[in-house]
Amino acid sequence: MVLPLLIVVLLACAALAGWALWFVVQDRAVILKQLIGAAVVEALVVVQAVVAGVLMVTRDHPVDGPLFWGYVATALVVLPVAAIWAFAERTKWSSVVLAVAALTVGFLDWRLWQIWGAA
Amino acid sequence: MSGTDPAPAAGARRTGSGFGRLLVTVYGILAFAAIGRSSYELATKFSEAPVAYSLSTLSAVVYVLATVALAKGGPRWRVVAWVTVGFEAVGVLAVGAASAVSPDVFGETTVWSGFGQGYGYVPLVLPFVGLWWLWRTRPRGTSGDDGAAAAPATPEPTEPAAPDPEVR
Repeated sequence: MVLPLLIVVLLACAALAGWALWFVVQDRAVILKQLIGAAVVEALVVVQAVVAGVLMVTRDHPVDGPLFWGYVATALVVLPVAAIWAFAERTKWSSVVLAVAALTVGFLDWRLWQIWGAA
Repeated sequence: MSGTDPAPAAGARRTGSGFGRLLVTVYGILAFAAIGRSSYELATKFSEAPVAYSLSTLSAVVYVLATVALAKGGPRWRVVAWVTVGFEAVGVLAVGAASAVSPDVFGETTVWSGFGQGYGYVPLVLPFVGLWWLWRTRPRGTSGDDGAAAAPATPEPTEPAAPDPEVR
């Protein structure tokens, strides 16, 4: 993993969460644009995973593989599932769900960074 | 925060709508976390602490069941939800207490060790919120099961998750 990418992902998660929380305050449900935002975050996590995989192979970076990829898998699953689940609800709870999911992905990404450095 | 959206009345008694949306989400995340943890443990080091890792696997299964049950929320699923959520409440208290008394009873930590400390105490809080929510959304009129799901076109209008007024 590389630090700039980590920061980008964390900022993207924070932005998505902030956007969703703003909607909570306004008592609004998730809109399509936010799903696109979630897709962007998801894409960033994918990029990050690919970069990590390449670094692992090329630089022989020592890491607890199963643990790391387990977290990657979880991080990748959370947002799409939560986005669909949120979009099906048409109250403000929809936005709460998206915010929680975005914060969770951010947290998982932070854990990935720790696992990457720990080995 | 009353008139949220067009169709709240019908969904008002459903476990997966309104506030329940959030509950199911948090359950789902915990379920994923527990699955990840237990598959990792089973795959890499089961023999080191079979009791702890079996417990992890059990809790993962229970979280998955609870998530599905709360999301579905039909009469049968509601029973499943009561059982699984109740099981978690007991599990986190029992394992938490056991791990407090004797830190290495299970040989290794589990999701429920230290009352769910490793997961921000979410495993401790969640089942009780879940039980409250199941009670809150219980079918009225009939007792416990049945309720025929289609029935609830009750007058009482909106507010699937209004904070305070206890709905009777």
